[in-house]
Amino acid sequence: MKSVTKQSWRHFLGSLVRVCSFAFFLGRKSKRTKFFLLFSFLPAAVALIIRFHQVFSEEKRALDGSYAFSNIIMLFYLQFIILILALFFGTSVCSEEVEGKTLPYLITRPIPKSAVVMGKYVAYTAIPVVTMALGLLLSFAVLNVDRLLSIPMYKIYFQYLGVLTLGLIAYSAFFTFLGSFLKRSIFVGLLFSFGWENVIQYFPGSTQRFAIVHYLKSFLPSSPSGRFSFLTFRLEPTRPEIALLALGLITAVFLGFACLVFSLKEYNLED
Amino acid sequence: MRAVIETRKLSKWYGNVLGLSDVTLEIEPGISGLLGPNGAGKSTFLKLLTGQIKPSLGSVTILGEKVKNNFAIFSKIGFCPEHDSFYEEITGWEFLTQLLSLHGFAASEVKIKAEKALEIVDLSQDKDRLVRAYSRGMRQRLKFAQAIAHDPEILVLDEPLAGLDPLGKRKVIRLIKEFKSQGRTIVVSSHVLPEIEALTKTIILIHQGKIFATGDIHYIRDLIESHPHLVSVKCAEPRRLASMFLTEDYIRNINFGPDPRTLVVETKNRDKFFSLLLSLIV
Repeated sequence: MKSVTKQSWRHFLGSLVRVCSFAFFLGRKSKRTKFFLLFSFLPAAVALIIRFHQVFSEEKRALDGSYAFSNIIMLFYLQFIILILALFFGTSVCSEEVEGKTLPYLITRPIPKSAVVMGKYVAYTAIPVVTMALGLLLSFAVLNVDRLLSIPMYKIYFQYLGVLTLGLIAYSAFFTFLGSFLKRSIFVGLLFSFGWENVIQYFPGSTQRFAIVHYLKSFLPSSPSGRFSFLTFRLEPTRPEIALLALGLITAVFLGFACLVFSLKEYNLED
Repeated sequence: MRAVIETRKLSKWYGNVLGLSDVTLEIEPGISGLLGPNGAGKSTFLKLLTGQIKPSLGSVTILGEKVKNNFAIFSKIGFCPEHDSFYEEITGWEFLTQLLSLHGFAASEVKIKAEKALEIVDLSQDKDRLVRAYSRGMRQRLKFAQAIAHDPEILVLDEPLAGLDPLGKRKVIRLIKEFKSQGRTIVVSSHVLPEIEALTKTIILIHQGKIFATGDIHYIRDLIESHPHLVSVKCAEPRRLASMFLTEDYIRNINFGPDPRTLVVETKNRDKFFSLLLSLIV
């Protein structure tokens, strides 16, 4: 009995890896990835403008590079870029196969349906993580061009990269779930991203804990004071280990639901 | 001969809409043609065979194994979907090798199998072109290639000849027959009788979710002929045309439609009726 379970787990993991490599290959080739690669470089343009301001401003209190990175660029990524990336990649895990009518190619292979969802989810999270990491690195480098050889400074970059990666993992799981059962998942996802997430996080008490961004902000160091500190304002941060647990739970629950829906639902591919 | 595919009281409803009703069938090796008009339940039946949808009632067994929740069976089945849909941003070679890799073959095996499948469908020369640049016939053959590439024992083809020109049809028919000559089982659907006739003598007639008849093409032909046909004719002088039909004994009934230019004729010999109509037109 134990060996049967072990064998089926091994088969499931093998299937997951195969689907992941298949989806990563398709994702790499898709126009969407190219577009979102450019999109995640948007903050680098903002960083460039800030840098020009730093260089050419006569104002003595021109923005410091790492301050601008932590308070402006980071916010741009945390509350806009990763949401959009996760929304478009996450919802398409299931819906692109239905809308493109390519679903039969996947579900008539000797792989469990849950492995299709999980494998595609892993690939469609890895792609935006890479594009986001590149954009973040470029923004970081632009703002700290005069200190690029200072290795300890990269701690900030990796710390923020870690938080954004956690964000992409959790948001993508939620959007994968939305895409598995809703036809207009993008619309609902936009409402969630820029309605729910932006509002709930500022509700005092336990209500703020219903927003994923609340847990992500809990990992950030308390924002240094300054004229842009209000952008990264957070109410009562959760302890990082609890926040990590909460994000893990959110990811597992929504991925589990997505697998369940995908396995049970019969998608209509008709026009 | 032992049945490869068996269905028992297979039924499927989509809400209140009946997709398939009480289908009990045994399909043996060779080509079986599923014939019926659009919306008859052909695609529903094929989706049930390939486990894409679950039956509301009844069961499907393939090679003695249940299809429901048995994804391992898909290594023995090749499915060619009805829709002209592909991952468009990759080449034909990539399409085939990527789908083959989902079966868990080693990279070297994937390459050999993909090359063989492309050679069978005459696409070796075009394998490095993007799928979106393929013609309709090439796309249909690529779909066929992905269905046979993993060397399945059973092939399920949903309208494989749809939208093809006569040359393209001949090519696909040849491919299906070659596959049959290897002793495999093929289920192919179409709504065009001559297409099915070109492929096989074993026909399953389906209409409104029910199996009307199964058997030899001649039996089905006779069955079709034994039922009266209603033909609607639109012309400038329907009453004059009706008077010409009245003398023929195979005309059973003539009605004038709500439109003053329409005539509805019921005949028990379709071929004779059309010959007469043609001679009158000429």
